[in-house]
Amino acid sequence: MANHTPAVVMDNGTGYSKLGFAGNDSPSFVFPTAIATKGPTGGAGGSGSGRPAVANKPTFLTGGAGGHLSGKRGTEDLDFFIGDEALTAASGPGYGLHYPIRHGQIENWDHMERFWSNSMFKYLRVEPEDHHFLLTEPPLNPPENRENTAEIMFESFNCAGLYIAVQAVLALAASWTSSKVQDRSLTGTVIDSGEGVTHVIPVAEGYVIGSSIKSIPIAGRDITYFVQSMLRDRGEPDSSLKTAERIKEEHCYVSPDIVKEFARFDREPADRFKAFDARQPGGRTVTVDVGYERFLAPEIFFNPEIYSSDFLTPLPNIVDTTIQTSPIDVRRGLYKNIVLSGGSTLYKDFGRRLQRDIRHLVDERIKLSEAKAGNAAKSGGLDVQVITHKRQRHGPWFGGSLLGQTPEFKSYCHTKAEYEEIGPSIVRRFALLGGPGSS
Amino acid sequence: MLLLDYQNVLIESLLKDRFAPEATPTAIDQIVSDFDNVTFHISTPESKTRILISTSIKCYRELVQYGAEDVLQREYGPYIVAPEQGYDFSVQVDLENLPESQEEKDELVRKISLLKRNAMAAPFEQAFDEYAALHEEASKYTSESAPQGVREGGGVRAIHYRDEEAIYIKASHDRVTVIFSTVFREETDRVYGKVFLQEFVDARRRAIQNAPQVLFRHDPPLELEGQPNLKAGKGDVGYITFVLFPRHLTPARREEVISHIQTFRDYFHYHIKASKAYIHSRMRRRTADFLQVLRRARPEAEEGTKERKTASGRTFKVGG
Repeated sequence: MANHTPAVVMDNGTGYSKLGFAGNDSPSFVFPTAIATKGPTGGAGGSGSGRPAVANKPTFLTGGAGGHLSGKRGTEDLDFFIGDEALTAASGPGYGLHYPIRHGQIENWDHMERFWSNSMFKYLRVEPEDHHFLLTEPPLNPPENRENTAEIMFESFNCAGLYIAVQAVLALAASWTSSKVQDRSLTGTVIDSGEGVTHVIPVAEGYVIGSSIKSIPIAGRDITYFVQSMLRDRGEPDSSLKTAERIKEEHCYVSPDIVKEFARFDREPADRFKAFDARQPGGRTVTVDVGYERFLAPEIFFNPEIYSSDFLTPLPNIVDTTIQTSPIDVRRGLYKNIVLSGGSTLYKDFGRRLQRDIRHLVDERIKLSEAKAGNAAKSGGLDVQVITHKRQRHGPWFGGSLLGQTPEFKSYCHTKAEYEEIGPSIVRRFALLGGPGSS
Repeated sequence: MLLLDYQNVLIESLLKDRFAPEATPTAIDQIVSDFDNVTFHISTPESKTRILISTSIKCYRELVQYGAEDVLQREYGPYIVAPEQGYDFSVQVDLENLPESQEEKDELVRKISLLKRNAMAAPFEQAFDEYAALHEEASKYTSESAPQGVREGGGVRAIHYRDEEAIYIKASHDRVTVIFSTVFREETDRVYGKVFLQEFVDARRRAIQNAPQVLFRHDPPLELEGQPNLKAGKGDVGYITFVLFPRHLTPARREEVISHIQTFRDYFHYHIKASKAYIHSRMRRRTADFLQVLRRARPEAEEGTKERKTASGRTFKVGG
């Protein structure tokens, strides 16, 4: 039966979950990975820290009394909300908000199980027994987490089949839609920049080179803060985080050269300076001027010193280091296929600037080594290419959708029967979807 | 969430977005799935302002037989268009030609998001109507003198809405019987299912006097005599019978009753899964408890005095 139904693709990230069906070009639902349950938020009873409250005495010594769960005989466990509804519920009394995923990894399995249950039955409206599921995981996810996921998926939901893919690999697959990509290889460097953190992940033939992953503490939120601080410095009438975020999304772009860009702003102010109408609570609208932050905000990727005092390495250098620490035989492929993914890579000309800067670094090094060799040998040069494509925002989800609709996807999944035969450890290995040998 | 929604949330939110006055029309092409192998296709094939919503239902042919076309005609009248290739039924909404008031727009969104419910409602409505007619007829006779057809009630309407499961609806002069056949693939699910069904059966006996009567058995009930492809006695097949009494069949209750009973199977499975999730969370807690006991039982670092020597050979005592 599960053969006719579209596969369900779920990309649960730290901030947002992307849910939808394979074959679609955008996720059906994008909402915060948040769950609001009855009772206070976090802290109290340890329920927010990812572990159920443990009484002073274990329950079997106290005869089961005093446990917070054993007292519940009703349907309290169904009294919760997820996503946007959770945010609404938590702003009222009685509900506490929890984020079951921290730093890309699932911390609270109780909450995650219920989050999944609600996303299937309330939002996607699927009977899990009829569908195959494609889930994502961050790079370097411990195999135990995979096993836990499989236990929930198979034991609770009886899902027809399960495939867990690494987000970075899916992001590479998503870039196949770009016209610049000729061969559908799964080798490349993924720059994944979301709300909280930016990762640079080298992938060779579909496998993540774990030792070379680098992360940068600069991402979407920092750009928003930067815009906000500039608005505050100028004393704009509205400098809320929300306004800063909207300005970031609507007006920011990457400039090739800051000095020239400043000059251009002074030369043609009418063109360059923008105004933004911020709606304030209460219905009033105020106009906020948008100035140099248009190109200065994304610039913190390339010149972090203008924002942070403790992290000073520009993004292009990080990418270059990442590739240089990878095995030598894949470096050429990694330089040739640098793929952007995530909301904070959407600025206009971000890819172009990154490509120019990385190429600059590479050419310099080649020149240096040629000089050291006494100019006896000439290098053939190294091709650096940054790929920008239309599906960047939900890159991993789209990659999942793309791979999930292929006819062979279902044969790559582990089925419930296989799970029962081998046990949870079955999900430690998955055949590489979309890699060499398939299709 | 105790009860499942009747409407498709995605269609609802999508149309609501599009119907908003400030929304700009954009191209959509989405395939959406619903329970019981129902698939929707939302697209804008001709222009960005014309949203085509098509649905494919596994048992559509049977539904048509039971008057689905009339029900859909009644609900969607002017919006119906020829079904899209590969789908059973299509409606089209033109964003340039929407109803004026907000209430009417909301009503339209609600109606379209209930597409699956309305299509599946047809046999129920037909059975309820048949009940009304039979009831009328039967009131002319005493129970002994009633002619054959009236006493026995109408024929059985079978809806094979899943590969192995079906709903059977039968109307008679004093009740409407709805029978679900269920198949459990999982041993665990079967056990949970049994507990749940027992609760359903007992509900009437305990507190809720006006609940419909529920029966559960493994071999096909007598009402289904003569139906093809009935499986019996294997243990993994079960038949759940709901007996709807006249009080459930009043025109005021009708809509609600149909919506409720349609979602029964999904509701049932949802709760089996939710209970498993609940038990898992208790298991995790218990494990945490045990781990704590183990941690406490670990012998602490050996205490007591110890003699240590310094480099120069002097000794001194540590701890104690």
